[in-house]
Amino acid sequence: MAEALMQAILSGLCVGGAYALVALGFSVTFTTTKTLNFSHGEFVSAGAFIGMSVLFLALGKPVTATSFGDAIPAGPAQLLALAGALGVMGLLGWLLYAVGVRPFAGRPGMAWVMSTLGFGVILQSVGLAIWGPKPVVVPSPVGDQVIRVLGIGVRPQELLTLAVAVVVMIGFDFVMNRTMLGKAMRAVAVNGSVASLMGINTKAIMVLAFVASSALAGLSGFLLAPIAQASLFMGLTVGLKGFSGAMIGGLNNPRGCVIGGFALGILESMVNLWQAQWREVAIFALVILVLAFRPTGLFGSRLAEKV
Amino acid sequence: MKRYSHLGGVLLAIAAVVGLTAVFNNDYYLRILFMMGVYYMCAAGMNVLVGYAGQKSLGQAGLFAAGAYAVALLTTRTDISPWIALVVAAGVSAICGVLIALPSLRVKGPYLAMVTLAFGIVVEKLVSEWTEVFGGAQGIYGIRPLTWGSNPLTSQQWVWFVVALCAATHLLLRNLVDGRFGRALLSLQADEIASSSVGVRVYRAKVIAFVVAAVTCGIAGAMVAQQNQYINSDFITFHLSIFILLLVLFGGAGSKYGPLVGTVVLTVIDALLARWPAAQHFLYGFLLLFALYVMPGGVMGLLTSVFKRGEKNQDLPRPVAEPAYKRSSAAPTGDLLVVENVSKSFGGVKPAQDVSFRLRRGHVHALIGPNGAGKSTMINMVTGVLPASEGTICFLGENLAKRPMHAICGLGMGRTFQNLRLFADLSVLDNVKLGHHSRMRNGFFSSLVALPSARREEARTTQRALQLLELVDLLQLALTPAGSLPYGLQRRVELARALATEPLLLLLDEPAAGLNPQETAELGQLLLKIARRGISILMVEHHMDLVMSVSDHVIVLDYGMKIAEGKPADIQCNPRVIEAYLGVEDDAAPAATPAVAAKPVTV
Repeated sequence: MAEALMQAILSGLCVGGAYALVALGFSVTFTTTKTLNFSHGEFVSAGAFIGMSVLFLALGKPVTATSFGDAIPAGPAQLLALAGALGVMGLLGWLLYAVGVRPFAGRPGMAWVMSTLGFGVILQSVGLAIWGPKPVVVPSPVGDQVIRVLGIGVRPQELLTLAVAVVVMIGFDFVMNRTMLGKAMRAVAVNGSVASLMGINTKAIMVLAFVASSALAGLSGFLLAPIAQASLFMGLTVGLKGFSGAMIGGLNNPRGCVIGGFALGILESMVNLWQAQWREVAIFALVILVLAFRPTGLFGSRLAEKV
Repeated sequence: MKRYSHLGGVLLAIAAVVGLTAVFNNDYYLRILFMMGVYYMCAAGMNVLVGYAGQKSLGQAGLFAAGAYAVALLTTRTDISPWIALVVAAGVSAICGVLIALPSLRVKGPYLAMVTLAFGIVVEKLVSEWTEVFGGAQGIYGIRPLTWGSNPLTSQQWVWFVVALCAATHLLLRNLVDGRFGRALLSLQADEIASSSVGVRVYRAKVIAFVVAAVTCGIAGAMVAQQNQYINSDFITFHLSIFILLLVLFGGAGSKYGPLVGTVVLTVIDALLARWPAAQHFLYGFLLLFALYVMPGGVMGLLTSVFKRGEKNQDLPRPVAEPAYKRSSAAPTGDLLVVENVSKSFGGVKPAQDVSFRLRRGHVHALIGPNGAGKSTMINMVTGVLPASEGTICFLGENLAKRPMHAICGLGMGRTFQNLRLFADLSVLDNVKLGHHSRMRNGFFSSLVALPSARREEARTTQRALQLLELVDLLQLALTPAGSLPYGLQRRVELARALATEPLLLLLDEPAAGLNPQETAELGQLLLKIARRGISILMVEHHMDLVMSVSDHVIVLDYGMKIAEGKPADIQCNPRVIEAYLGVEDDAAPAATPAVAAKPVTV
């Protein structure tokens, strides 16, 4: 029993790392532009498939292949795939901002909800046209040999996800709190027009926010693909859980979002131990519960409307 | 007369569709007509939620599922009549609608949209993974269809049934959105604080909008399950949620015929592209991304801007002369509002510290003080926008603590805002009619079926609003969007709206801000006219000449503390007031002349 519990916590932490990355992505755009990418989940899937395509190319297969067979990509190929996923996703983030967010941001009616959703639907249907709906098994860069410690089995890819997530988040925290760029981003978050009066290029900061957010989504997709197979539908639930994590932690507090993401991963694998079909329901119930008592999340700051 | 011609149009449309079923009597076309009806049901309810209440729901597939699976389980596991099962299914979806509306109490905007999206995904996961109950991808077979006599409906009869249902839905929802209820929804979409300040029960209205959308969507799901006699988890996808939302947005959210246009066009396209699902999805994505950019009002918005037809003022009834005004209170003297030891703190800032005062019936009171003295905060505490940290506020002997804004409005308190909060897109007339919201007695159901009583209330409200517009001299602008008026006129609309709540106490937060001297003088006359009708006034104002000329009693705040109160003339020469406004030199005695006190602040 104790082993099963430990196992659940460990794998929850690992998948929670991916959720935390997604949650952080939501937080970045929300704080700087007051908008969210409603197709963040599709961006997660896209990250997985772009990484996969680079691997196919490195192995000399066509991009449209749907299986690796026995081929194991080498380390450099994996690094190249990671760079490709981050780069392409960053570009997609910029494109999303240009066509889907900038024309609508700040206007009433939340038209950007629809436009970002639409962007995701397009992305997904392009993916379906290329690879079809079937999931693809993606080889892990660190092998599939299960590591056993004290009776708990864990796959190296899961540990890698956790490690990368932690490193990225510490790096992000450093940038936000210790560098001029981070200060500029926080200034834009507090008040965009004042920030631009101080000589900050708010437009560039907003583009940067979307690029960073999409790259984070791509990273989490790239890391999740070897764990759960790459699928065009994998992103929707990942994105949603990332958002739930962000809501629990507080969208306007990046550290809170990260904590929320990890907490959600653990909760999910605990519920999984008991009854898998209630997984989503439990998460949803928790979100509602948190919102009922703290509408801006556990660590979020309250917003007061001036009358 | 307009009512009957519209009814005639609807009957004609039904006849046309029934005629079509006779001409295209093959299953493929009948199926398309049936699905059109099903999607229209979804879209019509969704329009109330998205177009009127302004709440984006991205989880309608979950409600569709609620209806479909309710009917499936009821007809396969019990012997209940399929007709009753359909009704129960509508009830089940209504409960689910309340469930999604619950978070809207606490969260707004993108948070709420994401919560509804989550609801849809949760239901999708539940029906596909909880196979013991919902059958997953295997689905549930043997759902009993609706019957006529003892025979199941034929494809043709299904189309007839669905068309009749659509027509009924259209008529009912039209009744609903045309009157009190639709106005309330539009107002909360524009500005929730202003909406509750005129007595709209914002949260309740939102829940009702969610339930309306849920019921129509649930009925649609139930009909699909019964017509197919089969349902599985493949029906319930995120794309269905998006499609339902798109029907409304593409057709034109907030327009009565938008859902119809959206449904007809998109169902036909959907049928044509059925063989290429990827192309279908791509098109939906494309429409979501660009349709709002090119035509923010959907197809209907585009059409109305092309065939611009402004409603003419002559359509309006003339206001009948007001009956001699009866004083609203039997006892014209005594305390109306009692504020006792009220304090408020925002962290270290204390905009109210142990403030007490009493307002008397029939008097004009002014609340003055330098910037940052806590005047607006006081108004906001009295009207329930902000809770007081300490102390009690009693209105008509009732403690206002914990009372929501709409209830305080209902007790007889009307207000205006420092930075105008009009419903900018609504007409001047609708703004004022909204003020009368809490005084209208027709409820949800009488509005839905347009009982004579509901129509009478509506006519009475229009009459009252026109009278008030005449009072503030805006009658000729009644049908202009309030947001397009110049600033000074907008202030008057807000005043008329506050008066429409039939207040005993009218709270005005800087009514003369931004007005020129001429307009300020006119406002003073208007305020005196209002006061003569027995309405007490408390105004926050910086124009000292206005304050001194109309008020009976002045209260002075400085740094959250009451430093003086009394008759205007006494206040003018009160040394503490002069000190607060002008400051005092260390060695100078704080006794300036009254002239100095009044003049510099009138600038």
